[in-house]
Amino acid sequence: MADQALDLNVGASAFVTPALRRRIESLALGAATIALVLVVWELLPHILPMQQGTRLFFSVPSRIFATLWQMFATGTIWGPLGVGATAFAIGLALAIAAGLPLGILLGRSATLNAMFDPFVTAFNATPRLVFLPLLMLWLGIGLWSKVAIVFFGALFPLLINTHEGIRNADKLLINVVRSFGATGWDVARLVVVPNALPFIVVGLRLAIGRAILGVVVAEFFGAQDGLGVVMVRAASSFNVDVVFAGLVLFAVLSLVMTGMVKLIEDRMSRWRPQRAQNE
Amino acid sequence: MTVECLVDERLPRASFVKRHRDAMLGVLTVALFFAVWQAIFLVVPLNPLFFTTPSLIAAGFVDLVESGDLLHDLAVSAVPFGLGLLAAVIVGVPLGILMGWRVRIGYALDPLMTVFYASPLVALAPLLVIFFGVGLAGKTVIVFTLAVFPFIFNAASGVRAVDRLLINVVRSLGGRERDIYLKILFPSVLPYIVAGARIAIGRALIAVLVGEFFAASEGIGYAISRFGDIFAIDRMFACIITVMVIAVVLTEGIRWAERAAFPWRASQ
Repeated sequence: MADQALDLNVGASAFVTPALRRRIESLALGAATIALVLVVWELLPHILPMQQGTRLFFSVPSRIFATLWQMFATGTIWGPLGVGATAFAIGLALAIAAGLPLGILLGRSATLNAMFDPFVTAFNATPRLVFLPLLMLWLGIGLWSKVAIVFFGALFPLLINTHEGIRNADKLLINVVRSFGATGWDVARLVVVPNALPFIVVGLRLAIGRAILGVVVAEFFGAQDGLGVVMVRAASSFNVDVVFAGLVLFAVLSLVMTGMVKLIEDRMSRWRPQRAQNE
Repeated sequence: MTVECLVDERLPRASFVKRHRDAMLGVLTVALFFAVWQAIFLVVPLNPLFFTTPSLIAAGFVDLVESGDLLHDLAVSAVPFGLGLLAAVIVGVPLGILMGWRVRIGYALDPLMTVFYASPLVALAPLLVIFFGVGLAGKTVIVFTLAVFPFIFNAASGVRAVDRLLINVVRSLGGRERDIYLKILFPSVLPYIVAGARIAIGRALIAVLVGEFFAASEGIGYAISRFGDIFAIDRMFACIITVMVIAVVLTEGIRWAERAAFPWRASQ
């Protein structure tokens, strides 16, 4: 019995490698900091004497989460959230449908790439927000101006990363496959696409971030409905709890979705020495 | 003799075309794009409330420049842009270096900062506008909020990428703490910070536009949304294209500076 217990102990201490200890330490410290920030924030109104006016602009985590809870309990959140989600889904789907073929086309043809490079550079460098007033003018303040902003935001990360992935294909591998009698389709299937896939996934992660950003700004300025509209209305009536609740919701959605893509990305790029381009 | 001359004349020219083929193709396509845009409205009747042509945009641009409105709006927007970015550098770089240098501080702050960096912080804009007002202060704070995180994360990764061996070498050769900072840390982190600046500038531009779309009485973002409201499409396009040119010049300028100043990183 004693021997067994001892054995287990040895097993456990061998199991806790320095790497694992570092991992545990980093998780504990990270969680502790976040907890500390929340606690200090919660206690701040009790510590600092605040004037009535400042109190109006202030909220604490407990009230924010109570507000969030109430939004879900009463179901008032689903309507605005659904509006945003629809624009997000349609815009992202369109961006994927357009971005991948365009990226492949530009990746395969140096001439086309040279021709369209100024447009890609210009649109990628410019915040898409600048087109919002124009898109509102053309498409109205309903669903489609939101879809357009999401589309433009998500298109370029997808296009550029696909292009980068296609161009990055190993020339030697292509030549080898060609020498063994592969057709163009075979080259694409065996070398180019598998090589480009991790790049495309990185593009997708960036695109999701941009798409959520697009929904937020589009709803702030050009919408009648949606979580962004709820937040702006709450802000103008000094309902700070609701603004923070909306921010938390957007942040959680963004973290969860990009986190899921990141998991796929890590699985795919585990074996490759050279990571796909990040930003 | 004449043959040789011909060859001499021709060779450099041929190589010039070859060398600049990509750039020329790009310029030609852009020119073609504007030409087609102009030509379409020779056939299709122009509804000036919703559409415009390059010639009208050019006229609007000249108008805005001559009246001084464009320069005024740009100057108004440039102040919060510059101040916010400056504050982001002053706060973000030391914080990032600290997070990279002291491992435990990095462990402690990384998750919190990641949450901030990954969440759409623009959503804070309505609140910041209430807190700090619609003027310079509000816009500067929005710019700072969005632009600080690229500096933090890039400075931290720059420090983490420092070659430990070099530190040991400096130590063994009798270098002091100051030498480590000046001779290893600083040159190693700088390229990362410049790369962070490129990302931060993009976010700062978004921040200025958000601040000015919300509520402002001047600034380039305000100009764009006002020209949209009064259906002055030509001047609106002039402002949009100006913003595009500025964005391209800033980001490509930094990219160029990166290649020129840190050529050893250019391949990455």
